[in-house]
Amino acid sequence: MDEQTVRENLRTFIVKDLIRDPDYDLADDEGVVTGGLIDSFSLAQIGVFVEQAFGVYIPDPDLTVAKMDTLNQMVARILRDIQ
Amino acid sequence: MEIAQIAVLVVISLVNALLPSQWRKWVLFVISLIIIYWLQPSLSIRWLDYTLPSIIIGISVITWWVVASREKKISPITALSREDSTSLVIILAIILLLTIPRYFDFPIALTSRPPEIWQVITIIIALIIILPLGSYLISFRWTAILLLLIILAFLIIIKSEVLSIHLSVFLRQQTGQDTGIASVIDIQWLGFSYVAFRLIHTIRDWQTGILPDLSLREFITYVIFFPAFTAGPIDRVERFLNDFRAIEKYNPFEANRFTEAAARICIGLFKKFFIADSLAIISLSHTSIDQALSAPALWLMLYAYALRLFFDFSGYTDIAIGIGILWGIQLPENFNRPYLKNTITTFWQSWHMTLSSWVRTYVYSPLSRQLLRSRYKNHVNIILLISTLATMLTIGIWHGITLPFIVWGLWHGIGLFIHKVWSDHTRAWLRRLRQHPGRDAAWRWTGVILTFHFVVLGWVWFVSSDLSSAFRLFLALFGVAP
Amino acid sequence: MIGWEWLTRYNYTRSFIVRVIAKAGLLFLLVNLIFWILQPLPIIGRISIYNILVPGRERLPYGESPEAYNLSLYNLDAMFASHNIARIKAPDEFRVAVIGDSAVWGVLLTNPSTLTGYLNRELLTFEGKKIVFYNLGYPTLSLTKDFIFLEFATRYQPDLILWLVTLESFPISDQLASPILQNNVSHLQRLHEEYGLDLDMNDARLVHPNIWDKTLLGQRRALADWWRLQLFGIGWSNTGIDQQIRGFEPRSNDFDQDTEWHTFTIDEPFIEADLAFSVLSASKKLPTQIPTIIINEPIYIADGANSDLHYNFWYPQWAYDRYRDMLQQQSEQNQWNYIDLWNQIPPERFTDSPVHMDEIGSQLLSEKVMIVLNNFLNELKDTN
Repeated sequence: MDEQTVRENLRTFIVKDLIRDPDYDLADDEGVVTGGLIDSFSLAQIGVFVEQAFGVYIPDPDLTVAKMDTLNQMVARILRDIQ
Repeated sequence: MEIAQIAVLVVISLVNALLPSQWRKWVLFVISLIIIYWLQPSLSIRWLDYTLPSIIIGISVITWWVVASREKKISPITALSREDSTSLVIILAIILLLTIPRYFDFPIALTSRPPEIWQVITIIIALIIILPLGSYLISFRWTAILLLLIILAFLIIIKSEVLSIHLSVFLRQQTGQDTGIASVIDIQWLGFSYVAFRLIHTIRDWQTGILPDLSLREFITYVIFFPAFTAGPIDRVERFLNDFRAIEKYNPFEANRFTEAAARICIGLFKKFFIADSLAIISLSHTSIDQALSAPALWLMLYAYALRLFFDFSGYTDIAIGIGILWGIQLPENFNRPYLKNTITTFWQSWHMTLSSWVRTYVYSPLSRQLLRSRYKNHVNIILLISTLATMLTIGIWHGITLPFIVWGLWHGIGLFIHKVWSDHTRAWLRRLRQHPGRDAAWRWTGVILTFHFVVLGWVWFVSSDLSSAFRLFLALFGVAP
Repeated sequence: MIGWEWLTRYNYTRSFIVRVIAKAGLLFLLVNLIFWILQPLPIIGRISIYNILVPGRERLPYGESPEAYNLSLYNLDAMFASHNIARIKAPDEFRVAVIGDSAVWGVLLTNPSTLTGYLNRELLTFEGKKIVFYNLGYPTLSLTKDFIFLEFATRYQPDLILWLVTLESFPISDQLASPILQNNVSHLQRLHEEYGLDLDMNDARLVHPNIWDKTLLGQRRALADWWRLQLFGIGWSNTGIDQQIRGFEPRSNDFDQDTEWHTFTIDEPFIEADLAFSVLSASKKLPTQIPTIIINEPIYIADGANSDLHYNFWYPQWAYDRYRDMLQQQSEQNQWNYIDLWNQIPPERFTDSPVHMDEIGSQLLSEKVMIVLNNFLNELKDTN
């Protein structure tokens, strides 16, 4: 799975299922948690989504606002472990 | 900690700064080991104020042995690196040396009368034989689980008044002391609540495979790092390691860092020993709850209590962080203007932050993910409610296993849940509100006032010794005489 | 570091640190010097939240008990400033200061149940003025202590003074036993000089502050006490509590045969010079002549073993009888307004000491005092 696919899949999930505003234009370096778009519960949802969609398990200590605030951070973290 | 104790710790830290930098890791390691005995209050049960810090050290060594890298485990003694074996010798030497005041009069006693040296030697030899043997019988995976259970059991005992008294009675029977005067203060185990959370964190991270490789000296110093020993903050081990490995290159007298350290210590002292201790005189307490003559008086005392909690704890944290900086260890912040936050969620991201983020990482996140993977995954709000309540309940009983603390935890849990559901519905509206700065600010400050009062009313549970006095206090606050 | 940008934003230099330390050191020295020169504690003592932000206390601060929002301190200015006698005197107020020991202060009694508490309930008037009683009792037994408080009270324009005394306050040798006196040497010295009190100013128990004790550093405890007194004011006003009233050990009723009192025996009894009558007469020399009534306060009269030799735990009969005779004589000689109420309260009304009474005892005493007072005021009216 290439970076672009991961990024777009993740973006769609966040915008559609978490922000629930399909028209929202989410930038790659936009802070989704610090910007108030989603909260830490959504990080757990992202964690489960990433497991199921990309087969990557992100340990709990890495599932934090500091480490998973932007799309760029998330994608980088996923690609690190992706097969 | 008393002001004199803090002064001693600051002086020790300054003396260290003058020592050759290559000594510092060892100095910090040895000093931390000794200081935890010194800070432990003396207890009336025989040997206990010697035993409790020793248990902390013992359980930390065993945890390290479980979570350390692979090679060390196969043959625990021979495969130890030189640094690890030196560390182990130092630990054993300190534990043994502390029994010597039993035989001679020393001007400075770190513990009250310690046990006989041969008793301690027997226990150490027993451990050295049993542990490696045990490792052939039980896998490290199971040892880790066993350790978690032991740590949790200790934690539950010291947090529960009933169990503490039972333990006190049991220990008094063993030492042949009067069981009639057994009480909770017999089991005053300084620092264990924080040590336990650090140990659980390392074990859990080892289980998920993200714990970095670390030496015995590094591990022990992390767990009992003396500035944070009594009242946190709860650091994360990988962050601590970054700093610790660099302390030989660290210059404590570098102007920026030194200024910061001195400022934090002075501010902390002022917050704790002037503001908080003054507020303590006018704030609500177990006794004053039933004494106040009017509702406004109670509100005044409750506000004072809320501010006192903040200044007391954040003052301690400032001192710990300041002393940490003198050693080159940048402890994490614990508070970020919590009473000026406009939602309960942001309050909990800025109040006792290291505890709340620990609980978020090791309770909230795994639990909610587990539930989101389960067949109930579509009931998102129920999952949210369960994990939020479990998280806040953990924080509640970490303060003590009593009904008021449990209710206090639930109070915040329910508050967080309602806020989350509500903010899911208003998120888009709030984003639009930001285009109107005036209305946005008004809304923000309304939030600050509401949040502050939600928290303040939550302290009613926190301050009350039982639920009925909490209910009475609630009624009285709103002018209803019970 | 989150929240600390204001601190970490700047680039500090070594010379900055040196300058800060030097300035702080200098400032510290300066403040200590100013403190040493000005000795501002009495002035600071008069700064008080009492009677402004919170009501004044109904009795003087005493007792190291944070649970009861109270403490003992040595700063007389601060103590009086925290008392409701420091409030402005209304034009139609007739002010009565009640001086005495712990029995007047009201150990084991809430404020409404003290002697002054009951007296104030009566809403007495004199020549159209409301009579208001102020509790200036303080729990140590020494006439000299009483006199210092009385002298201090004259600053607050009392119209009348009630001074309750008992034999234990009289021994010359024990006049300086109270810490509040030992730590107020300058006051004592002044009174000693102005009123010729019979005091040994070289008594080893007196605390003479040295040069360090006069600095800010040396007086940090006194300063902290002043600060705590202000903070306790909030607790006091919120709760009306200034004493933890617990159960008590009742005064003893049985005694042995030994009838020694202090160093005196029935064969070698005390003489007038052994008792502090001079302190009582000194009150006549106060600059403003304030009518004073001296009352010999009620004592517990036991009926147990050897009660034919002892009235109570404090007093062998011979000593107390002798004292009463002497006080009576002295009063006549010096024309004091003196009333003896020693046996006016039934024994069952006493609590933990030979002079502490319960609520009913306190109320009975207030009735007796009121009769005395009415007679006195009637006479006063006639002379006016």
